[in-house]
Amino acid sequence: MYSPEIEKLLAKQHIQVGDRIRITKGKEVFEGILMPRPELGDRSVFVIKLDNGYNIGIRYSPSVQVKKLSSHRASFEFPKLRVEKKPSLPSIALIATGGTIGSRVDYLTGGVYMLVKPEELLYEVPEIAEIANLRIENPMNIASEDMTYVEWQKIAKAVADAFKKGARGVVVTHGTDTMHYSSAALSFMLQNLPGPVVLTGAQRSSDRGSSDAFMNLVCSSILAAKSDIAEVGICMHATSSDNFCHFIRGTKARKMHTSRRDAFRPVNNLPIAKVSPEGSIEYLSPYAKPSGKELELKTGYEPRVALVKFYPNSDPDIVDYYVSKGYKGLIIEGTGLGHVAVKPSDDRLSWIPHIKHAVDSGLVVGVTSQCLYGRTNSNVYRNLRLLTQAGAIHCEDMLPEVALVKLGFLLGNYKKEEAEAMLSKNLVGEISARSEYDWFMV
Amino acid sequence: MQDEHYYKQLGFKCGLEIHQRLDTAEKLFCSCSPRLEEEPMLGNVERRQRAVAGELGKVDWATQFEGSKGRKFVYQVYRSTVCLVDIDEEPPHDLNNEALNIALKIAANLHAHVPDELEVMRKVVIDGSDPSAFQRTLLVGYDGYIEVNGKRISIPSIFLEEESSGIVSSDSEKVVYDVRRLGIPLIEIDTAPEISSPEEAKEAAQAIGLLLRLVGKVQRGIGTIRQDVNVSIAKGARVEIKGFQDLDTMPEIIESEIDRQLNLLKIRDSLQERKAEVGKPVDLTSILKSTAVRLIKNSVDAGGIVLGARLKGFKGLLGFEINKNRRLGTEISEYAKLAGIGGIIHSDEDLAHYGFSKEEIDQVAKALGVKENDAFILISGPREQCTLAMKFALERASRAIYEVPKETRAADTKNLVTKFLRPLPGGSRMYPETDIRPIAVDRKKFGEYEKGVVSIAKVRSELLKEIENPDLAEQMLWSPLLSLYNEIVGKTGVPGYVVAPILLEKLTELRRQGIDVDSIPNEAMLAVFEEYKANAVTKTGIEELLKHKPKSRADVQRLIRELGLERITGKRLEALLKEFEGKSKEEMLREIMSKYRLNVDGNELKALLSIKE
Repeated sequence: MYSPEIEKLLAKQHIQVGDRIRITKGKEVFEGILMPRPELGDRSVFVIKLDNGYNIGIRYSPSVQVKKLSSHRASFEFPKLRVEKKPSLPSIALIATGGTIGSRVDYLTGGVYMLVKPEELLYEVPEIAEIANLRIENPMNIASEDMTYVEWQKIAKAVADAFKKGARGVVVTHGTDTMHYSSAALSFMLQNLPGPVVLTGAQRSSDRGSSDAFMNLVCSSILAAKSDIAEVGICMHATSSDNFCHFIRGTKARKMHTSRRDAFRPVNNLPIAKVSPEGSIEYLSPYAKPSGKELELKTGYEPRVALVKFYPNSDPDIVDYYVSKGYKGLIIEGTGLGHVAVKPSDDRLSWIPHIKHAVDSGLVVGVTSQCLYGRTNSNVYRNLRLLTQAGAIHCEDMLPEVALVKLGFLLGNYKKEEAEAMLSKNLVGEISARSEYDWFMV
Repeated sequence: MQDEHYYKQLGFKCGLEIHQRLDTAEKLFCSCSPRLEEEPMLGNVERRQRAVAGELGKVDWATQFEGSKGRKFVYQVYRSTVCLVDIDEEPPHDLNNEALNIALKIAANLHAHVPDELEVMRKVVIDGSDPSAFQRTLLVGYDGYIEVNGKRISIPSIFLEEESSGIVSSDSEKVVYDVRRLGIPLIEIDTAPEISSPEEAKEAAQAIGLLLRLVGKVQRGIGTIRQDVNVSIAKGARVEIKGFQDLDTMPEIIESEIDRQLNLLKIRDSLQERKAEVGKPVDLTSILKSTAVRLIKNSVDAGGIVLGARLKGFKGLLGFEINKNRRLGTEISEYAKLAGIGGIIHSDEDLAHYGFSKEEIDQVAKALGVKENDAFILISGPREQCTLAMKFALERASRAIYEVPKETRAADTKNLVTKFLRPLPGGSRMYPETDIRPIAVDRKKFGEYEKGVVSIAKVRSELLKEIENPDLAEQMLWSPLLSLYNEIVGKTGVPGYVVAPILLEKLTELRRQGIDVDSIPNEAMLAVFEEYKANAVTKTGIEELLKHKPKSRADVQRLIRELGLERITGKRLEALLKEFEGKSKEEMLREIMSKYRLNVDGNELKALLSIKE
C-alpha cells in the first residue's frame, strides 16, 4: 500500500498496480509500470519499472502529476499442460501447506503466490510426472512460523485421507522454520503408517533457477513413490551441493542453520536414507516398514505445554507463571546432562522449589538438554538427583522440541499418569535406547 | 580510416558499455574481500540450475543456443573472498555504502540525475556464472552526458551491480567457476548509440576511463575495466563486442565488424537472388564409415555419426571471405562448435585435401541431392552433439539468407576481427530483490558531489605543477595509475616529480622484464613511498622493492630488511664518511656510491661533501 496521498492520486486517475503510467515531477518525466510498494520501503515513494527493466522510486510531492497510459497487461500464464495418468506409475499425494517451496514470483510485480494446481508444479518440476501420478491437496497456505497444533491436526488428517484414497506415499510441502516440530507432531499423530510421509521445503525461494526446491521435490517424490519406509521424516539437501538429499526421521531432525540448504540434520541418529535425484535410494540406518496394521490417527493435542530454557541467572518464576496460567506440562531445556540451578548464591534463583511446586500442582515436567546431542542423566550429579526428587522426568536423548510436542500429544490423548509414564519411553523412534558412536554432528 | 561522412552513409551506430570495478574494502552485498588474493581453495560446491517459467511464456531464438542447459555448475570456494552470500546460501547483507557513494559521485560527474529511491533488482542469469541464478543490480543514475572532444555524448543510464564469477573451465557436462570475483562492486556506464565513428568510440572510452579514475576509487589492473561496444549498420544488426584488451585496437576491430556486416549483406543478396534454401540433416554414416578422413573415421569408430545437409544455392558463398581469413563457413562452424564439436567441413573447402575420395564426394552429393549451384556441410561426432551441432549450423546458414544475426561477439585482438560468442539475448528479465530494502538517496550528499565535479583542465594543470614535466604529466593524466599517484602524493607528501617517473617509467620497465608489478596492492605501493618519505629507503631502493615485492609475502618494512635496503642517512652517513677519510671528495663519492648504491642517496652525499652539481 502506498501513502494516503499517493493512493488518492492513483484512485482519481483509476490507476492500478501494473498499469503503465507517466509521472511528471518538476522538469522530469518518467514512464513505466506502477509497481506495488515493497513492504520495507517508504510509502510515500512511487515505484515504477522503467522500460529497461529497472525499478526506481520517485518521491511524492504535491506538484507530482500522474497519468495512466495503458492498463495492466496479463502476466505469465502457465502453458496448458495435460497431466496424464500413467497406470505403470505409483500414485502419491502432495499436501501443500505453504512456505517458500511451491510458490512462484510474478516477475512483473515481484509478488509471490502459491502453486496449487498440479500442472503448475509439474511445469516447474516436470521430472515428477516420470516418477509418480501426483494428486495435490492444499488444505492451507501458511508460513511455517504461523503454524500451530491446529494445522498439525489438519495435516495429519489430510495425510491419513490421502492414504485412504490410495496414495502409496505422501509428500508434505512445508515452510522450513518449524518443519521439525510438524514432523514430530505427525510422527506421533500418525502411527502404523502404510507408507512414507515425506516433509520437504526450500531454503531458497523457487523464483530463482538455483532454488533447492526442485531437487527436494524430486527426491521427496522418489521416496514417496518407491521406498518401503513407513515413517514420517524430512527430506532436504544433505550438503550445500545439489547432489542428493537425506531422509531424516521426523522425531530426530532439527533445523541447524538459518539459511543453508543442508540446514536439516539428524540429532542422536543417522539419516534413514540417501536419495539421489536420478532415482536411487540408499538406506543408511534401520527404519520401520509397513506393519499391515490399520493406520492409527490420533490428533488429540494439549496446547497448554511450554518449553522453558534454563540459563545462568534465569528467573525460575517463569515456572510459576505457567502453573498460574493452568498449563498441564512443561519441558525444561537444562544445561549439560539436564541441569538447572540448585544452590546459587542467591537462593531465589534455585529452580528446585519451583519445579516441585509445578509437579505438586499437577503438571508433567520433563527435562531435556540444550546440548541437543547426547542423553540426559539423572544420576551423575546431585543436582540432577534433586531435580528427579522434585518430580521431573528425564527425557533420555529426545530433542527439547520433540519432547514438547510429545508431551502435548500425550496429554491430549492419554490420562496424565499414562502421559507421565510414556514421556520417557520410546513410541515412534523419538528415543533411542543406545547412543551410537557416529551419531554426532552428522 | 574513413571520414565521418562514410560512417553516416552506412548508418553506423555505436554505443559503449563500460564496466569498472570499484576499489572498496568489501564486496557489494557482503563483507568478503574484493581483492583477488591468492589463497588455498576450501572446496567445491556443485549445483544445477533450471530455467524458471518465463514472464511472457515465449522462448526467444537465442535461448536454444544456451549451452549450459542440463550442465552441472561447480563453484570454487575460498576463505577470505567467498562466503555463504556468494554461494547462494545466505541472504544478501545491506548494500555497501562505500560503493554506493563512489557510484553516486561518478553519476554526479557524468551530470546524471539520480532516483529519489534506489531499488535493487535481480537480473536473471542463465549461464551459471552466478550461483543464485541472478545478478543484483540497481540503477543509480540516468540522463547524464560526457564531453568527448567538445561533443556531448548522452549517458542514459548508470548502474551499480555485482561482478560475475570467473570461468575456470567448461565442457559438455560441467562448467567450473571461481567465485572470488563474484560480488565485487561494478559500475556500468552506458552511452547512447551516438558515437559516429570507430575512432570516436575509442575516444569516448578513454574519456570515460579518465573520468572514472579522476573521480572514484576504482580498481586497477587487468580485467578491472571492460569496454563492450554495441555496433550496427543500416540493414545490418546490432552486435555486442566484448573483450577488448586495450583501447588502441578498438577502432580497427570495429572497422572489421563493419566490413563483416557489409559482406554478409552482399552474401545475403546473392543468396536471395539464387533463391537459396537450407536442407534437412541426412545421416551419411553408412557412406563414410570407412573413409580415409581421419576426423570422420575417428568419430565413427567411437560410435558417433556423420550428418550432412544440402545448402541450396550456397556454392562459392561459404568460402566468400568476410574478414581476413574468415568466411561464411567460419561463422557456421562457430555456431556448430557451441554444441561441443570440433567444427564442420563444407564443400567450398578443398575436400580432397581432407582425404575424401572422388567416389565419397559423389555419393555424399547424391545422398544430399546437391545440384550445380549448391553447397553442403558435414558434421561428425557423438550422436547427440552432432545432431545439435547440425541444428545450430543450419540455423546460422538459414539466417544468412535474410539477415545479419544479432550476436554477442568477442574482440579478437590478435587478428583484429570479431568472433561469434552467442546470439544476442533478448531483454533481461528483472524482478525486485525482496531481501534488500529500497535505499533513499541522500540528496544533500549528492548535491555536494554535484558541486565537487572534477575539472579535467584543472587536474591537468595541477599535475603539470607537481610533476614538472609536460609529457609525464599528460601521461599521468591518462594513466590507470592516476588514482594511485594521487593517493601516494596526497598521503605521503612525496613530491609528484619523484612519484610519476617511478609509476610511469620504472613500472613499465619492470613489467617488460616480466615482473608482475600490477599485483602489488595499493597499500604496499603506499607503504613503499611512506618509507621513502621517512628516509628509510632511497629512490634506488624503491626500484629494488618494486622488483621484489610481487614475489614476496613480506610487508614492505620487512622486505627492506631482507633485501638490505635500509637507507644510510644523516649521522650514519657522516659516520660512514669517516671510514673513507683521506680520500678526495670525488673518490669518496665514487667509492661510497659503488658500494652503497642502494642505501645512500647520491644527492645527500653530494651535499654532505659540498660537491656542487
